[in-house]
Amino acid sequence: MTIDPQRYAELFRTESREQLSAINRNLLLLEQGGDDQEALGAVFRAVHTFKGMCATMGYHAVAEFAHECESLLDRVRRGEQSHTPELMDALFAAADALEGSLEDVSDTSGTTPAMTQALQRLHDVAGGSSTSEFRAMRLSGGALVEVADSDPLEGPGVIVRVRQRADTMLPGVRAYLAVTKARALGEVAAMSPTEDLLREATTPQAFALRLLTEATPEAIEAAIRSAGDVEHVEVDASGHTRRTTRATIEVVAEGEEPSRAPSASAANAPAMRPTRHVRIDLSRLDTLMNLIGELVITRGRLLQLSAGIGDAALDDAMQQASRLIADLQAEIITSRMVPVWQVFDRFPRLVRDAARQVGKDVNFVIEGKDIELDRSLLDEIGEPLVHLLRNAIDHGIETPEARAAAGKPRAGRLVLSAARDRSAVLIRVSDDGRGVDRAKVLAKAKAAGIVDAGVKALDDEQLLRCIAQPGFSTADAVSGLSGRGVGVDAVHTKVRVLGGHVEMKSVEGQGTTMTLRVPVTLAIVRALLARTGNERYALPLTHVRETLEYADGTVQQVRGKDVLVLRDEVLPLLDLREVVRQGGEPETGREIVVIERGERRSGLVVDELIGQQDIVVKQFDAPRDGLALFSGATILADGAPALIVDVGSLFQGN
Amino acid sequence: MAPTVLICDDAIFMRTMVGDILQQAGFEIVGEAETGAQAVEKYKQLKPDLVTMDIVMPDMGGIDAVRAITKFDPDAKVVMCSAMGQQALVVEAIQAGAKDFVVKPFQPSRVLEAVQRVLG
Repeated sequence: MTIDPQRYAELFRTESREQLSAINRNLLLLEQGGDDQEALGAVFRAVHTFKGMCATMGYHAVAEFAHECESLLDRVRRGEQSHTPELMDALFAAADALEGSLEDVSDTSGTTPAMTQALQRLHDVAGGSSTSEFRAMRLSGGALVEVADSDPLEGPGVIVRVRQRADTMLPGVRAYLAVTKARALGEVAAMSPTEDLLREATTPQAFALRLLTEATPEAIEAAIRSAGDVEHVEVDASGHTRRTTRATIEVVAEGEEPSRAPSASAANAPAMRPTRHVRIDLSRLDTLMNLIGELVITRGRLLQLSAGIGDAALDDAMQQASRLIADLQAEIITSRMVPVWQVFDRFPRLVRDAARQVGKDVNFVIEGKDIELDRSLLDEIGEPLVHLLRNAIDHGIETPEARAAAGKPRAGRLVLSAARDRSAVLIRVSDDGRGVDRAKVLAKAKAAGIVDAGVKALDDEQLLRCIAQPGFSTADAVSGLSGRGVGVDAVHTKVRVLGGHVEMKSVEGQGTTMTLRVPVTLAIVRALLARTGNERYALPLTHVRETLEYADGTVQQVRGKDVLVLRDEVLPLLDLREVVRQGGEPETGREIVVIERGERRSGLVVDELIGQQDIVVKQFDAPRDGLALFSGATILADGAPALIVDVGSLFQGN
Repeated sequence: MAPTVLICDDAIFMRTMVGDILQQAGFEIVGEAETGAQAVEKYKQLKPDLVTMDIVMPDMGGIDAVRAITKFDPDAKVVMCSAMGQQALVVEAIQAGAKDFVVKPFQPSRVLEAVQRVLG
C-alpha cells in the first residue's frame, strides 16, 4: 500500500493555506512587537507542519526550503540569531516564496526563483557564523571518527552486535531505543561507539554493547529487534573476552542538526478556528442550497393548493412540513456561513506591503472579524475590499510628512469593520486621510460631461457615482497599486451583482469611509411581492421599511410632483408602473411601499401587495446599461417568474 | 474487536494520512486531538489501545503529553510522529514514555511495523 498524494491534494491545499496564513499573521505580530515568543513559536510550528505536509506529498524541494526556514527560526528562538528588520524582510520573503511554491506544485522538482532568492536572503541574514555552519554540515564523503583507545567490549557480560537496516530513519534514535530495551534486561556495561555519539548518528549504524544480564540470547535478540529497523543482531554469550577491531563510525552530516528546540510551547495559539469541525466539499453546500431553494418554492405551491382543498388534517400536516422546511432552510443557511476573518485574514499582510510600497505608515485595525456571511458572498467580497484598501493607502492616507504638517499623527489609521444590520452585513473601509478632493472630481466630471456645468458641488452620493464611472481617475500619476480608475468601478459593479450597494462618506482633510452593504445570505431572500399591472415584482425585505394604503391624505403634491407625507416626513414618491414603463392606467386601491436605502427613504406605489415570501434569487448577467432596475429574478410559488427590484437603483434618479 | 487508536497532530492533513493508513490496517479511530492538552484529556476518556503523537503541537507539545499520559497509564502505547531532523526530541519523547516512532513523510509499511512492534 502506498500513499497516493492526489487523494489528499485538496486537503493539503486547504491545510497548507491555513499554515501559511498562520505564518503571515504571526510574522506581522513578530514585526510589531520584537520579543514576542508566542508569535515566534507559532511561526516555527506552522513552518514545521507545512514542511511535514510537503514532504508527505512528495514536494521535496519545498520541504527542504521550509526546513531551511525552520532552522533559521529555531536559531532565533534560541537567541542565536538577532531580531532585525533584515531578518523580518527575509522571513516575509520566505513566506511569500512558500506561498508561491504552492501555486505550481505540479512541478515537484521545482525550486522556484523566489525560493532561491529567499534562501539567499536567509543565508545572508544568518550571517557568517551560520554560513560556516552550513558549510560544516556539508562534509564531503564521510568523516570518520575514531572511538576511544581502550576497547570497551573487553570484560564480562554478553556481547551484542547490532547492525541497522540500510534505510533506517533517525538511526540514532533507533539505536537509543535498542539500548533502552537492552537496559531493561540488565546493565549495559559498555558500548561501542559511545552512547552519546551513537545517539547523534545520522546514518545507519553498526554498534555493539556489553550487557550484564541473565537473559537468554533469544530474549536478548527479541528485545533488540523490538526496537525496530534491525538488520542483523548477534549475541555472543561465550564469556570470552574478545579483542575486536576498533570500531569506527561514519559521521556524515546531511545538513540536519538535532534540533534542541524546546519541546513544547506554553503559548496558546490564538483560537482562530473552532475546535471541532468537519470538512465538507464546497459543491455539497451549493447543492444543499439549491435543493432547499427548490423545496421552499414547492412548499409555497403546496400551501396554496392545500388551502384550496381545505382539509383540516392536510392543513395540519402542511403546517408541520412548513415548519420543518423553514428549520431546514435556516440550518443550511447557517452551515454556509463563515466568519469574515477567513477573508480578512490576509489583509494585514497586504496592507503592510502596500503601505511600504508607497512609503506610508499605516495602522490597520480589523473590527467584527467574527461576523458571518454566506461563503460564496464572502469569496466574492475579497477582491472589492482589496481595491478599497489599496485606494485608501494609495490615495487616502497621506505621507507621514504631509500628515505631520497637517497636525495629524504620522501613522494613518485604516479600519476595516464588519457589522450586522438586520438581514445585511455592513463592511466598512475607513481611513483618516485626506478625503476625496471634491473640487477636483467636480472639475473632472464636468470636463467629462458627466455632470452639468452649472452644478456647484457634489454630495457624497454624486461623488461616488462620478468616481465609480469606468475610467474615471483624478490621479495625476498612475501608481503601481491603483489610480487607474478601475478600482471603484469594479467594486461598485461587483457589490451590485451580489445584491448589495456601496456608499461613500468623505470629508476633506479628515478621511473617507466606504461602506459595502451586502445581504447576509445570497440565495434565499425574504421579499415582499407586489403586483403592478399584470406583472409581479419582488422587493427584498432588507429594503422595505413599511407599507400603507394609497390614500388621499398621505399623498400630496409639491411642485407638481407626488410626494408621500409620512408622519413628520415628506418622502419622494415613485410609481412602479412608471418605473418599469408598463403603461396603462393606474388602478384604484393601490398601496405604497416605503422603501429605504441606507438613510434615504422613498415611497413606491404598486397596484397590489401580494404578500411576503421567501424567494430563491437567481442572478443574471445584466448588460451595463440595461436592466439596471433589477438585481435578479425568481420563480414564484405558482411557477411564474418575477423580477427582483434593485431597490438601491430606484434612489439614483432623484 | 478492532484495536482502537487516538491520533494526535495539529494538522488535519497529517491526522487524515495517519488515520487512513491505520484504518486500512483494521484500526478503529476513536479520537483525534489537536493539542497536547487535548491528547491527554482524550486518552483519559477513551483509553485507546494505541496513540500516535506528533511532537510539535500548540498548547502542550507531544513530549509533555506523552509524559502526562504515561504517568496516568504506565502501559500506554504511544508512537511518536516526528519529522526529519528531530533526533534529540524523539529521544526525549522515548525517555518520556513513547514506545516507538515513525518519521514523516509516512511510509505505510513503516507505520504498520511500528504499530505491530508496540502492540505485540
